[in-house]
Amino acid sequence: MGATAVSVGAMGDKAFGQAKKPIPTTPIKIAAVSFLTGEAAAPFGIPGYNTFAMCADAINKEGGILGRKIELLSKDENGGVDAQVKLARKLALEDKVDVILGYISSASCQAILPLADEMGELIIAYDCGSSELMEEKTSPYKVPKFKLGFRSKAHLGIDNIGLALVIKKYFPKIKSIAGINPDYAWGRESWQVFEVAMKKLMPQVQVVKTLWPPLGNTDFTAHVSALMGAKPDIVHSSLWGGDAVTYTKQAMGMGFFKNIKMAYSRGEPYPQEVGKDFPEEQIICCAGTHYFLYTPKDKASADLQKWFVAEYHKRYGKYPTYPCYHAYQAIYAYKYAVEKAAKTAGGWPTVDEISNALVGITFPTPSGPLTIREDHNAIEDVLVGFTKLTPKYPFPILDPKRLEVYPASQVNPPVGIKTVDWINSWK
Amino acid sequence: MWVIYTLNGLYFAALLFLTSLGLNIILGVMGILNLAHGSLYAIGAFMAAWTIIQIVAKAPPFVLYLSLLSGLVLAGIVGFLMEKSLIRAMYKRTLEYQLLLTFGALLLLEDVIKMIWGGQAYYASAPFELMGNVDILGHVYPTYFLFVMLITLLAGLFVWFFMGRTKLGIMLRAISLDREMATGLGLDIGRLSTFAFVLGSGLAGLAGALVVPTTPALLGIGMEPLILAFIVVVVGGLGSLKGALVGALLVGFTRSFGIAIIPEIELPLLFMIAGIILVVKPQGLFGR
Repeated sequence: MGATAVSVGAMGDKAFGQAKKPIPTTPIKIAAVSFLTGEAAAPFGIPGYNTFAMCADAINKEGGILGRKIELLSKDENGGVDAQVKLARKLALEDKVDVILGYISSASCQAILPLADEMGELIIAYDCGSSELMEEKTSPYKVPKFKLGFRSKAHLGIDNIGLALVIKKYFPKIKSIAGINPDYAWGRESWQVFEVAMKKLMPQVQVVKTLWPPLGNTDFTAHVSALMGAKPDIVHSSLWGGDAVTYTKQAMGMGFFKNIKMAYSRGEPYPQEVGKDFPEEQIICCAGTHYFLYTPKDKASADLQKWFVAEYHKRYGKYPTYPCYHAYQAIYAYKYAVEKAAKTAGGWPTVDEISNALVGITFPTPSGPLTIREDHNAIEDVLVGFTKLTPKYPFPILDPKRLEVYPASQVNPPVGIKTVDWINSWK
Repeated sequence: MWVIYTLNGLYFAALLFLTSLGLNIILGVMGILNLAHGSLYAIGAFMAAWTIIQIVAKAPPFVLYLSLLSGLVLAGIVGFLMEKSLIRAMYKRTLEYQLLLTFGALLLLEDVIKMIWGGQAYYASAPFELMGNVDILGHVYPTYFLFVMLITLLAGLFVWFFMGRTKLGIMLRAISLDREMATGLGLDIGRLSTFAFVLGSGLAGLAGALVVPTTPALLGIGMEPLILAFIVVVVGGLGSLKGALVGALLVGFTRSFGIAIIPEIELPLLFMIAGIILVVKPQGLFGR
């Protein structure tokens, strides 16, 4: 691990010689919940799970958090929302874990973050994207929505605003767009933000088709040809996991990519998943700046990125995808918050003290500095690129010459304002 | 585009027909409503995907296509074991018992799949990619979809010929018409029932195997086909081969053109068709 990460939280337990509250000698129990089975396991759950394990090992090797080692309890997110609610209660009340880091599905997050305050348990959502998770029905709204509920990543607003900005820059003359998004909160919200942003940025562009396949659809032929029949210039999609791969492969087989371009709101893992046949020149968003070939501007983050990519590839034989970066953000947000809180608490901090310390925290991550705001949601820069085959990798990478990075301030709404309202207020 | 919409409709109908064929045979001959049919489909999918992944690097293409039959074989074997152990006791029981038992079998098989193949996705798209595309009136269309239609056609013709023209098939139909009379005439109901169940299970496995080159094998892959097969059976009529064919075509075309014309109704569309049929003609279009 690079020296930079250590320097950020460099305070061994010796610093607390005159501690009022003693630091327990038992390990810290961290529950890490992500899909270990089911459709979301291979593209998201397992990479997340791997990274939690890798980071916990790295932290433990450096002496743990304030000298306490991490004991990771990895749990499966599969089985539906009810099962997850039960699991969260068990983790908090029976296993008495110190923190729950988890959840890929927005449905899980929406069911579980509200439990944080009720159970008095710190919960950090690490990968789910719903913009409405932390927002209220109208703007301006009061923050935070949950006292002990956090999300250590930006919401889906950045992906879809980023796509719209890139389309305006590179394809100013297009006439029509279409969408294919899964028929539930994630897909509906993704399309809504994209559509509103496109209307604001490129009012002349027409929406010619919006399709809503069910999650886990196995036959996209009807969708592919319906889109081809509508003849849009660009098709927006937030399809993910097996759906994204199935759709892309079937579309490739039907000659879809000859005349139409795809804009994937979270497409970053799929070129690696599909391989060299993944079409070139497609627009791919990275759910932040989470890309293994991206070098953050600040040195601390850049060094971390070098270590992160090399270490992940060494351990798991693949390059880290965006869920890996999200897992890093969650576990280190907790580490830095505990260390920050301990300074004033003089010893091991309480849940409330850790929660207070998380607000306003900024720390380096492999994809750049991350800030958690007073709405308990992190904000991030966003990276959008174009797929391109190179001799060096067995799958298309994002063309290094056309990597567009938009700063967090340009793609995240201000605190207390709904994303859609904010976009509508753009001048 | 209309030719492609039609082909899409035909392709979807082919998969539906193949899936509902087995359900229909088991229902028609044995009077068993097999909720575990989707799990047999899933077993076929996982088995075929696993086999393809094992041999893809070394086997010539035609072996890859032959390996899809592994799904049929394993589902048939599982069907055989299921019939011998669980289903056998159900023939004289009422429908509620069958539903409970086959639903139990569904949960059990789902866990068995998880135990054997784990929770991972199995990508086995080599057969789909190797076949490439054909040009149909200026449109690109994957050859593999035509291959699926061909196999389904062959399977349909086989079942039709078998049920209508062979002695074994005629005996099976006799059982489906009047079980007691068939027993009275000295037919070996036990063995014939086992045979019908294995045939139905194998067809479910074949359907799963044919799908897997176009989409990864995942836990729960059999749920959607089970529901769709039920819709087809409801629309076409219980135990009717002609009904299954017409039902599958109706559902396939409505979906393909529905998505192209009014995409918002994709999800409720198929249930709406089944609902209308249930109200207007509860026994299905070709039900007895």
